[in-house]
Amino acid sequence: MSRWLLQPVAAARVAWLRTLVYLFVPVDVLVTTPWVARHDTAPPSLYRPLLLDRLLHLPAPTTLLVHLVEAALLVTAVAAATGRAPRLLGGAVAALYLEWMLIAMSWGKVDHDRFAFLVVLCLLPTAGRAGHTDRTPKEAAGFAVRVTGLAVVATYLLSVVAKARFGGGLAHWLDSAVFVRAVLRRGTVLGTPLLQHVWVLHAGQYALVLLELGSPLLLVLRGRWLYRLVAGYVVFHLLTWTGIGIVFLPHLVCLLALLPLERLRLPSAVPVVARASAQ
Amino acid sequence: MLTSTGRRLRLGSLAVAAVLLLLGTAVGGDDDFPFGPFRMYATADDPNGRVLSTALEARTATGRVVSVDERDVGLRRAEYEGQLARVTPAVLHQLVEVHAHRRPSEPAWVGLRVIQTEYLLRHGTPGAARRSVLAGWGAS
Repeated sequence: MSRWLLQPVAAARVAWLRTLVYLFVPVDVLVTTPWVARHDTAPPSLYRPLLLDRLLHLPAPTTLLVHLVEAALLVTAVAAATGRAPRLLGGAVAALYLEWMLIAMSWGKVDHDRFAFLVVLCLLPTAGRAGHTDRTPKEAAGFAVRVTGLAVVATYLLSVVAKARFGGGLAHWLDSAVFVRAVLRRGTVLGTPLLQHVWVLHAGQYALVLLELGSPLLLVLRGRWLYRLVAGYVVFHLLTWTGIGIVFLPHLVCLLALLPLERLRLPSAVPVVARASAQ
Repeated sequence: MLTSTGRRLRLGSLAVAAVLLLLGTAVGGDDDFPFGPFRMYATADDPNGRVLSTALEARTATGRVVSVDERDVGLRRAEYEGQLARVTPAVLHQLVEVHAHRRPSEPAWVGLRVIQTEYLLRHGTPGAARRSVLAGWGAS
């Protein structure tokens, strides 16, 4: 197991992963989940600090604190995307993003699309310096990539365990009306018509569990079959988005760690500074 | 290549994180984020039971009824829905003030209500919806 975890991977994979993950942070903060920043005016009486908030004695979010964390996170993420000072900047992004998530989840609702993303943010600073064209195999890069993959798979597999635990057993969950509830509450133009054909939603529950149980294949397959499988998971998440408006984007970004990103080439239009840091 | 200390640190940290995640999944809750159970949509709704959906509904001075979303009050539906007992008229008044702050160019709200819609299911198919008011502040 430890040999598999530390199997060297080209440093360029980590360099590309850094660029993609750190550039996704501003997209996440500003575009896809802008509701986190809107907690700047949320009523303090509904603030429910999580265990980590309490253990670390983190202050209750105020308007000033939310916007300070937001600004610091945006600046450090863009700086980290250049690949410079990977430990310092990457460590800062990981700490700030965790605080950002605590601000997000401390008003009574916890999402589980962030676990793998938090893991990759913690791992990227440990992978050392890496250039986008550096094909040198490195154990630190391999560990970062493998554990990110494990976090993605754990999110799927342990979701099945949660269904068994909170759904009164997996068989009971499979034959429940949980997808009907999801569409009734969050249905989109494409999702709501399925309430006229609830067997589709019922079958979808079986398909979801199969997909979640099949996720270890992401760690096993190689080449074309891996690309097909990753594409399949992306399609699943897009279908969920079209049906109920929920998409696990940070989680999908982590799926990229499984792909041979080291084969990507920098386009010739990339500014000189980025090329220099890629060397 | 990594040093033996580097290897041990990585494998040790992974082992600790894995134990925390497995413990959180088996016996933990949302409070244990990020090591809590991945429980979104993990509950099982009875196909012959009911589905509840909560929403905020505001009223302007002209009597217009406006549906409220998270951009208006800075709170997602699931956030106030998960702690309805705390959503008192005083909290609703706070949310009215938040809206005035966030959306100064929009007509002010003179009332805000928590509406719950109940759908009865039969063999998984939803029937007619029934609405009730759970809490309110100001004009209704």
